[in-house]
Amino acid sequence: MSTIISLPASAARPVISPVPQAAYLHIPFCRRRCHYCDFAIAVTGEFVSEKDKTSPKKTPVDGSNSDRIRRYVDALIQEIIQGATAASSADPSTLPSLNTIFFGGGTPSLLSVEQFERILQALDRRFAIATDAEISMEMDPGTFNRDKLAGFLDLGLNRISLGVQAFQDSLLEACGRLHRRRDVDRAIAMLDDFGVTNWSLDLITGLPHQTEEHWRESLDLAIAANPAHLSVYDLTVEPGTVFGYRYEPGEFPLPSEAIATDLYRHAHGALTGAGYDHYEISNYAKPGHRSRHNLVYWRNDPYYAFGMAATSYVNRCRFSRPRTPHDYAAWVAAGGEISGETVDPVDEWLETLMVGLRLSNGVDLKNLAQQFGNKPVRALVELLQSYKKQGLVTMGNGAIALTSPDGFLVSNDVLSTIFERWIDEDQL
Amino acid sequence: MTDAPVSKIRNFSIVAHIDHGKSTLADRLLQDTGTVEDRKMKEQFLDNMDLERERGITIKLQAARMNYKAENGDNYVLNLIDTPGHVDFSYEVSRSLAACEGALLVVDASQGVEAQTLANVYLALENDLEIIPVLNKIDLPGAEPEQVIQEIEEVIGLDCSNAIMASAKTGIGIPEILESIVQQVPPPVDTVEDPLRALIFDSYYDSYRGVIVYFRVMDGTLKKGDRVKLMASGQEYEIDELGVLAPTEKQVGQLHAGEVGYFSASIKSVEDARVGDTVTMARKPATEPLPGYTEAKPMVFCGLFPTDADQFTELREALERLKLNDAALSFEPETSSAMGFGFRCGFLGLLHMEIVQERLEREYNLDLIATAPSVVYRVTTVEGEVSYIDNPSALPDPQYREKIEEPYVQVDMITPEEFVGTLMELGQSRRGIFKDMRYLTKGRTTLVYEIPLAEVVTDFFDQLKSRSRGYASMEYQFLDYRADKLVRLDVMINADRVDSLAAIVHQDKAYHVGRALVTKLKELIPRHQFKIPIQAGIGSRIVASAQIPALRKDVLAKCYGGDISRKKKLLKKQAKGKKRMKSIGTVDVPQSAFMAVLQLKPEG
Repeated sequence: MSTIISLPASAARPVISPVPQAAYLHIPFCRRRCHYCDFAIAVTGEFVSEKDKTSPKKTPVDGSNSDRIRRYVDALIQEIIQGATAASSADPSTLPSLNTIFFGGGTPSLLSVEQFERILQALDRRFAIATDAEISMEMDPGTFNRDKLAGFLDLGLNRISLGVQAFQDSLLEACGRLHRRRDVDRAIAMLDDFGVTNWSLDLITGLPHQTEEHWRESLDLAIAANPAHLSVYDLTVEPGTVFGYRYEPGEFPLPSEAIATDLYRHAHGALTGAGYDHYEISNYAKPGHRSRHNLVYWRNDPYYAFGMAATSYVNRCRFSRPRTPHDYAAWVAAGGEISGETVDPVDEWLETLMVGLRLSNGVDLKNLAQQFGNKPVRALVELLQSYKKQGLVTMGNGAIALTSPDGFLVSNDVLSTIFERWIDEDQL
Repeated sequence: MTDAPVSKIRNFSIVAHIDHGKSTLADRLLQDTGTVEDRKMKEQFLDNMDLERERGITIKLQAARMNYKAENGDNYVLNLIDTPGHVDFSYEVSRSLAACEGALLVVDASQGVEAQTLANVYLALENDLEIIPVLNKIDLPGAEPEQVIQEIEEVIGLDCSNAIMASAKTGIGIPEILESIVQQVPPPVDTVEDPLRALIFDSYYDSYRGVIVYFRVMDGTLKKGDRVKLMASGQEYEIDELGVLAPTEKQVGQLHAGEVGYFSASIKSVEDARVGDTVTMARKPATEPLPGYTEAKPMVFCGLFPTDADQFTELREALERLKLNDAALSFEPETSSAMGFGFRCGFLGLLHMEIVQERLEREYNLDLIATAPSVVYRVTTVEGEVSYIDNPSALPDPQYREKIEEPYVQVDMITPEEFVGTLMELGQSRRGIFKDMRYLTKGRTTLVYEIPLAEVVTDFFDQLKSRSRGYASMEYQFLDYRADKLVRLDVMINADRVDSLAAIVHQDKAYHVGRALVTKLKELIPRHQFKIPIQAGIGSRIVASAQIPALRKDVLAKCYGGDISRKKKLLKKQAKGKKRMKSIGTVDVPQSAFMAVLQLKPEG
């Protein structure tokens, strides 16, 4: 029997899932909802304290915020501390420390420095935060000032993901963003002033009325800002969003599929030319600056999650928390019980490929065979031959990967072919 | 019990529309003559198959022998020979009727004459049967016997002055019916001394005894142990078992002219003892067989494929077993690039097809995909050779064809007046030739069209029912083959011709059908990395085309921790659309696309 990796077919799948060393924290609050957004968020309005509802005024970015956020942070800290989420019944003192912590949203930069501190303290008490841990936060231009940034950095924040999205006021306005070009410039200048180099810049392609000229300009400005990392998201029109009501994908004012493809290819060319590695379908990094936290997802490793609507993956169980602040607080108060079915081997295999093939490194065949056995790996190699011939898949260096950008662009086609092969199987 | 004198035998059948109460009436006759004790009475004794019982229709005929003491004090033997109610089986009906001297025409007193009844009554008249009109369900509040009598007289031209008012359910009129069978139906002609001739009117396969043959002795006498010859097949057999149905089997030593019974003779398949064949003595045979024998020929075809390829062998075995009992069913293996291994099956008509499919699924637990039904075309080549073609891909190219002919049927519709317009539209749209329209009573109308069978097999019946809100009924019978402007419509996917998608269509409909085909395929074939032209054409002429644009971008922009479950669902959905793809050249076509096209029905 010819084997790719010499392991018995029945090896595979350790009985005990590894314990997470990553934590995601969801801070759902936003000043308003963007027109493309279908995330679980809570809109606060343009900051109003509970006592001062009658006279709305512009958000103070220096730390004072609403009672809602305060109450939410209390629940979040309670969830971290009471530790049911930590899943394993293991003794907390034996849990491995956290290597990555990610504050996502929503708009986590709406947290006050003190709130951020309390959350980190809770995490450290519960799990211990590794000394070299990556601590990331999504921050929106216009939602933080120098004091807040200084406070966050002092507490250990070492990676910032800046939600720029576009450099053109007309486009920012059209997608319902509150910040403008001048806020973007100020935010970038602030990061420079504080010597922050490990930061990421978010951009969106395929926005309504976005032209190729707009896109070239955005890329040039982004490269000039010299972030260590860039995320470039092709707009997805989700049902239930403002865009979902207004627009039809591929139809004016959204770019046609052909133009959207060109925008994607253009980003690939410009950014790889500027020294960024296109390491994931929508992500670029300078050497040594890939997002350590997000790699956890793409390697299908386990992770904790805390907060409203956050999804954790612990002991092969994916669990989504209640999706409103009220329901979430009630769930935490009731003990925060985690329930749900464990992912079966076939689904685990498909999920591993679904996320792993997003990476330019792809999935390592030896690791796959160790985890799932030789049989499915052989079948996978066989199945993807035609894509290999078309130049969409590579199989060198003991890994299967999609090519960049051709394979990335049609990744769903490849993945659905893989899914079709195993979707009705009871076992691998 | 077998030595009934010929003059005391009455052989009759019941002609009725579905639901008009034939089976209930038969049951009642069995009960009132004491043939079946009340406590043993199953509802509708004559209908043996579950399927029949469930649908309330009779598919295969059976027979029953009753002893009846008439008002004149004499004992009579009444043989009821049941007939299938549907004209798909008209040949079998005609042989059953040929075994009788009389028939009860049962009409629902509230519904009136229906198209099916009409077709069978004409068959009975052709066989010179004495017809006794019976108005059933006379006790129902909606009964309008006067109207219905008028209708029978006008449509069929039958004298209804002696029509019997009955209710099989409550027993009203049953004594009158029994008495009039004795009085009105003539006894068989006494030809006991002639050489044996017995008419086979039904047969079925029994796994222990071989084929059980139902017959009527027309001339002479048949005894257990006789060596007999079937005149059409030429085969000889020895009678192992001889008996009558009373209505369960009861063995007897001999049966003479006029009597009805069954025999077994180690016959291996119903094909060897076909309905209509004549049984005679192997030694001293009759000089002439009984008239009217033909082999029932399949008229409607469809492909049957197991959804699960592993069930192919089971499907073959099931068809073989059904065939033991159903000489009219034909099948041969067919391999389709799209559907895998299956069979091309021939049926007498649409109901026959439906029954076979349902029995395969129900009795044999098979999960089947059926292609849209088609008919047999008669093709004459330029060399003058005539062949019958039921598979469009077997059709010779135009330069080798002299002509294509297709089967035409006469369609009789009976409908309330208000739907005449829409049904005429239906007839016209199906290339029908209007033949006749007559007003019956109470605003009821008959419409007669000659229509290509190909147009009838594609949802004509459904259209008739929906256009008339269920009120119209129809029947069709084969007329002849007629030449028409027929063409083979080919389907090309990325310039590759796909044999299994070819269709024979009328030239005037080619555009319409082609349009529907390419539209459906465009919908169901997933995008590829390149553009895919889909075309429908006649020879080199393209009549409809569509294009599947190249897949340039199909990617999930974001996939982080919270997205995984949802994205997985999306991909699973996308994967379902790719189920069981087959390669046509470089294009992968999912089985769902083939299925949709092969089951595509033209709009009415």
